[in-house]
Amino acid sequence: MSEHEQPTAWAISRALVRCAARQAPPGLAQRLEEEWLADLTARQSALGRLRFGLGCCWATRVIAREFGVAAAASAGSASGQQLLVSAGGYDFSRLSRRTVALIAILCLHAGIFYLYLNGFTPSRVVDRIDLIHGSVITRNRRLDQPRLLPVPTLAPINDSVPDRIPRLPAQPPAITVTHSPPSGKPLVQYPPPKPVNVIMGGPAAGFPNTEDYYPSAAQRLGESGSAAVRVCVDPNGRLTAAPTIVRSSGLARIDQGALRLATAGSGHYRPTMENGRPVSACYPFLIRFQLENQ
Amino acid sequence: MGKRGGEVRISLQTLRALEAFLENPSEELSGADVQKRSGLASGTLYPILLRLESAGWFVSRWEAIDPVSAGRPRRRFYRLTPSGLARASEIFASFGRGVLV
Repeated sequence: MSEHEQPTAWAISRALVRCAARQAPPGLAQRLEEEWLADLTARQSALGRLRFGLGCCWATRVIAREFGVAAAASAGSASGQQLLVSAGGYDFSRLSRRTVALIAILCLHAGIFYLYLNGFTPSRVVDRIDLIHGSVITRNRRLDQPRLLPVPTLAPINDSVPDRIPRLPAQPPAITVTHSPPSGKPLVQYPPPKPVNVIMGGPAAGFPNTEDYYPSAAQRLGESGSAAVRVCVDPNGRLTAAPTIVRSSGLARIDQGALRLATAGSGHYRPTMENGRPVSACYPFLIRFQLENQ
Repeated sequence: MGKRGGEVRISLQTLRALEAFLENPSEELSGADVQKRSGLASGTLYPILLRLESAGWFVSRWEAIDPVSAGRPRRRFYRLTPSGLARASEIFASFGRGVLV
């Protein structure tokens, strides 16, 4: 492939070589440009020429790092040997590629560690954007004439504007419920109830003995127990209704004996006293059957 | 990095460039010739050539033509110096490859 077939690639390659050579140390730039242009003509393909030009750019970086800028003193020297011998006094770079890569890796790790400590929070990023924006405004401000910000005039707050959230009064209003009788008659005023002094009644003198009503079958079987009996007594101490068991003893014979005893005791009950006056009332009392030897 | 005392950092690419010259130690080669024999990229080859030349392993000269009349730039030819040849031979001998000097 000739130069005429690929004029663009040829021009680009030549431009790359020239640009790369001019970036070299001054003492080597002219030599490298002529040498690389001569070697470029040995390339047959356009792609090979482009690769050659790019490689020269990289070579310039390496050469510039190794041979520095002191080649200017030897610029124009006809002998390449003399040129490079003088280049022995160049300012060699103190950092190799390996050292630069190591420093870059350390900086990358430090950055990641810093982001990890700050939690990768986007809010911090927003804060920094605000700070940067503020610094730009400060730079443009004239420091000799400080500007005073105008005091804004605030309009009075209109309380009549309804809020979305209803305001509760400081003291809630009392709720008054008016009840009117359906017939229009005034309500009956009942006097307050007077305190009542009640003394519950119970078995009185002459009440039958418990042993007389202890069922004999229960005595033979050794049964004993207590049953609660409820009785209704009039002011004269007589029963007004049949007694009932309100708490069983768990033994039917004991419960039956308790009911017969309570019935037999009619007329011998002490009536219930309300404010010192006997009244008809019902009350419970406990009847207990127990063997003598227990 | 080349040094005037002749100490050169020998890398695999440097060995490949030297090997191109050791096929015929008295032959002069341009950068394009070395690149064809070694297969090195231009970004790697030319720093090696300059490094070895500054260390005294190579000498170089311009091609004896008139660029105007020839219609092309002059080529730069590199040739091993006797000291460079001896050092290169030692290095390759240490790898078990003998070189005829």
